[in-house]
Amino acid sequence: MGMILDRRIKRTFAANKAPYISSFILIMASCLLFTTFLLLTGNMKALSDSFKHDYALEDAHFTTDKKLDGLSEWESAYRIRIEESAYFDEEIQHGPVLRVFAESESLNRYAVREGRRLSGGDIVINPTFAKANQIRIGDSIRIKDVSFKVSGLISLPNYIYPLKKESDLLIDENNFGFAVIGKEDYARFPSGTHDYSVRGAGSESETDRNLAHFKSALKDRNIAILQWTDVADNPRVTRVAAEIAGIETVGSIIPIAILLLTSVLTGTVLWRMLQREAGMMGTLYAIGYTKSELTRHYLKYPILLSLSASVIGTLLGMAALRPMLVTMTANYNMPLDGMNYKVSILLASVMMPLILLTATGYTVVRRGLKSTPVELIRGRSGTRRIGWLERRVKLGSLGFATKFKVREQFRSIPRSLFLLLGVALATTLLLFGFTIQSSLDSWMRADSVYKYKHEYIFNSFQQGTAPGDPFSLASFKLKQGEGKSLTVFGINPDTKSIYLEDGKGHAFHYDGVIATKPLANRLRLKPGDSIELEGKTDSRTYTVTVDRIADSYNGEFIYMPLAEFNDMLHYPKDSYLGIWSKDHLDIPEEKLFSALSIEDVQKAYNSFSRRLQVVLGTTSAIAFLIGLTVIFVVTSLIMEENKGTISMMKVLGYNKKEVNRLILNSSAYLVAFGFLLGIPLLFVSLSAMFRLIAQSTDFNMQVQINFVYLLLGFVIVYVMYGSTKLLSRRKIKKIPLGEALKPGLE
Amino acid sequence: MFIQVAELRKSYPSGNTRTDVLKGISMSLEQGEIGVILGPSGSGKSTLLHILGGLDGGDSGEVRVDGVDISRLHDQQLAGYRRERIGYVFQFYNLIPNLTVGENVEVATYISKSPLALDRVLEAVGLLDKKNRFPTELSGGEQQRVAIARAVVKNPRLLLCDEPTGALDSATSRDILELLQHVNRTYGTTILIITHNTAISRMAHRVFKMKDGAILEQAVNETVISAERMEWE
Repeated sequence: MGMILDRRIKRTFAANKAPYISSFILIMASCLLFTTFLLLTGNMKALSDSFKHDYALEDAHFTTDKKLDGLSEWESAYRIRIEESAYFDEEIQHGPVLRVFAESESLNRYAVREGRRLSGGDIVINPTFAKANQIRIGDSIRIKDVSFKVSGLISLPNYIYPLKKESDLLIDENNFGFAVIGKEDYARFPSGTHDYSVRGAGSESETDRNLAHFKSALKDRNIAILQWTDVADNPRVTRVAAEIAGIETVGSIIPIAILLLTSVLTGTVLWRMLQREAGMMGTLYAIGYTKSELTRHYLKYPILLSLSASVIGTLLGMAALRPMLVTMTANYNMPLDGMNYKVSILLASVMMPLILLTATGYTVVRRGLKSTPVELIRGRSGTRRIGWLERRVKLGSLGFATKFKVREQFRSIPRSLFLLLGVALATTLLLFGFTIQSSLDSWMRADSVYKYKHEYIFNSFQQGTAPGDPFSLASFKLKQGEGKSLTVFGINPDTKSIYLEDGKGHAFHYDGVIATKPLANRLRLKPGDSIELEGKTDSRTYTVTVDRIADSYNGEFIYMPLAEFNDMLHYPKDSYLGIWSKDHLDIPEEKLFSALSIEDVQKAYNSFSRRLQVVLGTTSAIAFLIGLTVIFVVTSLIMEENKGTISMMKVLGYNKKEVNRLILNSSAYLVAFGFLLGIPLLFVSLSAMFRLIAQSTDFNMQVQINFVYLLLGFVIVYVMYGSTKLLSRRKIKKIPLGEALKPGLE
Repeated sequence: MFIQVAELRKSYPSGNTRTDVLKGISMSLEQGEIGVILGPSGSGKSTLLHILGGLDGGDSGEVRVDGVDISRLHDQQLAGYRRERIGYVFQFYNLIPNLTVGENVEVATYISKSPLALDRVLEAVGLLDKKNRFPTELSGGEQQRVAIARAVVKNPRLLLCDEPTGALDSATSRDILELLQHVNRTYGTTILIITHNTAISRMAHRVFKMKDGAILEQAVNETVISAERMEWE
């Protein structure tokens, strides 16, 4: 039986192209995004795990004030592997900085991405830096007046996200990269810094215990650990996981939101079709067709639609995986050793739309077929009943045009819901990029804490008169909560290098312990509260009582007077580890652990901002596509439902403008509501996202919705609406006067 | 004459040939009169009504309504003509289902320069108490009353009714015809009704009988009777 009836399906699709093509596009986009994102994140996780395992990623790295002798003894005593991880920073052609490492044997081994491994006189560098600075394999680079030949492009497991400083937020491949040279070559360059990588041999808890004993032993031998970073706190390694988790969340939420939207759309379109075909269904009943036969026939519409769109979308997603992985592994400096198309993701991508749309279709079809054959033949099921809301709404005092438009929205709640949610989703996506940009801009502008231009951190304690503003710093782990890391600064009480204030804009004196706002928010701190910290370098517990909370969002930090800081950590009296300065200082390189200029931060931000523009553009394009599709479909549905009304208006003498104004403008309020609904949605989703970022980084941004961007977003949404109206005018013009003269109510 | 039609012809393409729907029709109706066009399906009466209402144009001939030669009007002017001078009553009412009774009538007042008072018209059609009901909550006869109110509220010069009782039982039909007669007497509106039902011709001042695109007979009715006295055949 199905065969004959099913011949209609293709014809029905052809006769009602707009809603079906729109559903098709939405489902396809949803499956494309779902497959691409989830395959991408799955592959990235696997690649990152195998890279870290196969190339022996460290468990921690640390810097001491003295050289560690007899490494093998330490290793056997604490069941750990230690390797010197010496490096220095070198400016290439008086511009970008290349961090040069000595080739390691056991930990943090390099992976060759292109070219060959090192032999004497060779250098291998990271690909993004090479590309940004137009360095090719075979080129020569001068390092400290010695010429090296680039033999290959590499990745390092401890520099997956190549940040210059661990506290940096953004990578800047134009200005920072890393390289490895042979041990013999490296020996030619003396270094005063004692850097080491360490990895435990036993389980995680055993390693933790062994490392704590190791730190104590160092202290007992009067070797100070100047800096200690566990791999879990190393953003060069962990940032990739945080960002993959972010992509995974977005990659699941957006496609599902699009799918839900499409279900509402398909349900509405199917319901309209059933209403239109009530007479035909009644006749088929009368001939002898059963309810289940008719149900099967009508279910073929959502099944065919979702299956064809999801298969194509999933295939496109699979095709997009390789170029995406190539881009991602290039960004994250990981070798691309293989790809995996996880069957469960592919199956989910195909099945989700199928199940969702079939379920929606089934509900709608069973409801449509509830009426008796006689009712269907008489078209009673086609005569829609007035809904509860329509009946309740009182519009007495409003003008006719307003009443008409409001009633039009109440006429089909699913249709209005589809428009409202569609516009809200499009608005959220559209403003997503804009708001991230303006939040970042505002974060950069408001980052007025730092008044210095250069920061120098030494590789050993300094004493005596400082050539700038002295400070010290140490890493700690919070004893509360999930043990997040934070930095405590010891600062000069009269410092002018940083500026902290209270919520009312009053500058602080630096004679007490100050916690920044993000830290206070995380721990619900108020002045007078104490917090317990575990020293990263000595694993000891310290208690700090906070005197003031600074209204500053530069990160989760504690500032305290330098003398108090030295006293607490038993550091030498009047010693310091760093200098802040407004001018560039000539400090011998072998004395430095790191040097940073604020200008570098600005450069990194500018480079990041340029990359962000691309993401922003893509998100906006997707938003525009969704918005346009949703508005176009709803306008088409409104016109379809109002064919008779439009024709009748023409008969009554309404001119084109009046008809267009009433019919096409009827959704204007809902489009505006959808836009307004999108703003809190955006706020909630971005706040959640920023909170997630803040948990894994020191980067605390506040959601800043810029009025100009809001206005721009509103204009874009109305441009979508306006273009749809322009397209629809022609259709309204085509509706014949005779439509009103046909029998029937609707 | 209020309506003056002379030698009106109209044909439609049908495959490779053309079908003549109106074959040189001539007719007239005085202002304030009720005219009835009788004829079987396919006689061309609906086409004639559509041309008089400015919904369609003839191929040749002259059509004057209220002094206006509507065969010379372009689309925009025809919309203005329908808006200012014509009221329509359809067989299947053509009400907008999600607007209340009052709002359905407002559809017409919204574009009218000098509409009649909405409540008075609703009172005249006996539906003032159902002003806030929706069409689906009314009987067929009541829905047709709303359609008549919508047509009349514009205070049109000519009311064109296409089988106004075609979907109604005889008692309700009589009510509707009484209402039309009442409109004709109260507002002086010229009314032209097309119908299969010959009984309706007794309430008309002029009767036109059509068949196969031509008027076979037109007569002036000297003994117009009130709709309530009409006998249904």
